[in-house]
Amino acid sequence: MHNTISLATATKPPQGLSPFDETTAPSAPHERPGPCLDELFIEVGYYQEKKHGQGAAGDVFLSKKTSDGHLISVLSDGLGSGIKAGVLATLTATMAMQFVAEDIPIQRAARIIMKTLPVCKERNISYATFTIVDIDGMNRVRIIEYDNPPYVLIRQSVECEPIKKMLLVHRRGVPKKSPPEPFTNARMYYSAFEALPGDRLIFFSDGIPQSGMGSAPFPLGWGNPAVHSYIQQEIAEKPDISARELAQHLVFRALLHDGYRAFDDITCGVIYFRKPRKLLVLSGPPIDSNRDRELADLFTRFPGKKIVCGGTTATIIGRELGRPVRVCLKDIDPEVPPASSMEGADLVTEGIITLGKVAELLEQGPRFDRFRANAALHLVEFLLDSDHIDFVVGTKINEAHQDPSMPVELEIRRNIVKRIASLLEERYLKKTTIRFI
Amino acid sequence: MYQDKTVKVVVCSGTACYVMGGSELLLLDDHIPSRWKGHVELEGSPCLGFCKNKTQGKAPFAVIDGEVLSEATIPGILKKIEEKLGET
Repeated sequence: MHNTISLATATKPPQGLSPFDETTAPSAPHERPGPCLDELFIEVGYYQEKKHGQGAAGDVFLSKKTSDGHLISVLSDGLGSGIKAGVLATLTATMAMQFVAEDIPIQRAARIIMKTLPVCKERNISYATFTIVDIDGMNRVRIIEYDNPPYVLIRQSVECEPIKKMLLVHRRGVPKKSPPEPFTNARMYYSAFEALPGDRLIFFSDGIPQSGMGSAPFPLGWGNPAVHSYIQQEIAEKPDISARELAQHLVFRALLHDGYRAFDDITCGVIYFRKPRKLLVLSGPPIDSNRDRELADLFTRFPGKKIVCGGTTATIIGRELGRPVRVCLKDIDPEVPPASSMEGADLVTEGIITLGKVAELLEQGPRFDRFRANAALHLVEFLLDSDHIDFVVGTKINEAHQDPSMPVELEIRRNIVKRIASLLEERYLKKTTIRFI
Repeated sequence: MYQDKTVKVVVCSGTACYVMGGSELLLLDDHIPSRWKGHVELEGSPCLGFCKNKTQGKAPFAVIDGEVLSEATIPGILKKIEEKLGET
């Protein structure tokens, strides 16, 4: 019998999976070479909808890449909704994040949290649930779940069912017995596996399976089995769907069941082990006009999507390559200059104003106005739909921008690109490089 | 009335022009009188490059049939088009 995962629907067990326990897992990465993972990127995407009428979300989703190459993601759902639930969930998620980031083994971290969490006196349940995902540099995944709906692992478009170990934690207020009893004590589930390219891990708060509860089509809510088949259907329809998009689709679907007035906080996180999608962003003319050709060569040789930010930059590339740049006068936005088109470029925008707006949008978080069409929103979409982003920044100063009558919002290009890159790295867990030319 | 005459207007949408009022100029189409329809061709430019040269005047810039107009405004451009179409 296969002892790590039993497959619900697959006919043969997938390759490259081997069992390991936290206690036996080697600490040095070189001891256990994983599958060819050099060109593997872990995309983390999430989407959230607050309970209708609440000012704050009661679910919290946090993700972080640590300096030693771990990726940690935590989803916590606070009891109830609104600010009280939000505080409890934030407390839980932050604790989990800190413990795991500080190298406290995930099982121990979960036990500490369980013992710290207050317990509701009436219902005898903890004030917040959690799912902690810890992925190390060799793509070994460890997951601890407490009271959230079970996570879904999709491998080669098939749902796998990892074997989970039940951990009993003595709960405060319950008489201590040895061994602890499963029904009066808290039950956590621990599972571990090695991720393979193409794997997707989907975890969500109970707002998703419970969506539509009480309605005619779903008297008992959407339900976990239906959620799982929806996920499989989404992936079958669009095999390369991004983590961000899948999380969004799932939340929108649940919201639809709730008649667009969420009954509960709805949160979904998706982790996708994928081949990196590459994006080049060229902005600014080179310091020396002799290097214009070099800039154009960078543009033509790049294997991936390409964006030019800056009117002068676009003019230089257009001139060097003999390609016309046309401004699109269709979607005129009062805040952002219009986008242009050029053969070979996926997007051409104005420079500083657009980049400033992009930084603002990225700071706002995953919820931005999707129904407007301007160059900055398009650029944000491209950035979030990519994994490795190369910025090439020209350092020539535009003297016209130094005029004191110009608005102060016109920042220095280098600073704004640095700000965008650090937002992408820290908040959206992307890999970025910045080169100056 | 204007026979086959068309006037080509190029409006700069570069940073300097945009913040100095060029965003308005891109909406020129809405201000063109109906009698001129079909005789005015509006085009945007990612950057005309005039802002880097102080002798050309100040942003925003527009080019009307090859003639550079600095500190362009909608009425200013309309006046130029009028001249080019030979209405005045």
